[in-house]
Amino acid sequence: MRILFFAHLKTAANCATAELHVDGEIDADHLWERLLTRFPELTRYRRSVRFARNGTYAVASTRFSDTDEVALIPPVSGG
Amino acid sequence: MIVEITIEPEYVETHQPLPRTITNQAGAVVTFAGVVRGEEAGLPIGGLVYEAYQPMAQQTMRAIVEDIGQRHACLFVRVIHRIGIVPVGYNAVYIVAAAAHRAEALAMIAAFMDRLKQDVPIWKVRALDTTGQPLPPLP
Repeated sequence: MRILFFAHLKTAANCATAELHVDGEIDADHLWERLLTRFPELTRYRRSVRFARNGTYAVASTRFSDTDEVALIPPVSGG
Repeated sequence: MIVEITIEPEYVETHQPLPRTITNQAGAVVTFAGVVRGEEAGLPIGGLVYEAYQPMAQQTMRAIVEDIGQRHACLFVRVIHRIGIVPVGYNAVYIVAAAAHRAEALAMIAAFMDRLKQDVPIWKVRALDTTGQPLPPLP
């Protein structure tokens, strides 16, 4: 799957995008575990970040698969 | 309801005409400009740098306008949000809402701005000092 980082998460991850391979479908908790293994600097942002799957905010039942584009959405500040 | 959503890295002329199809029906045209102020966290600044997850931001803004439009019937809504460098005094966001009567147009803009600040993936990522040099990233 393609992971997108925005705002300060881009600095924390030291990249704007990353590729992550997953087998089958995983939930948000499992996805976080995978991300933190590779990007431990994201740990402190976990509580404030929402996932978006293919351009839509994920909900508790959302599952993520290898073909998804997953964005990590920190608190927004537009306007 | 006609909805126009634009995310734009360059200055946008905001005095654009309304669609001809609504001009006979619109009794109220309300505009709102969200302008970059000259300070951030108590320090003088020269501008802000905005970033967006553009496809999602565009889709989310449209969905928000259409949802609010179910309760506050408008004829036309135009939203322009800047990204990139926006100098102090320039619009970061500009909204036009046209409706038969003012209450719907005013309500549209108030509700939209509340939801923009909750759900639309756009960020102020950095402030520039008064000489245009980048300041540390915003939290």
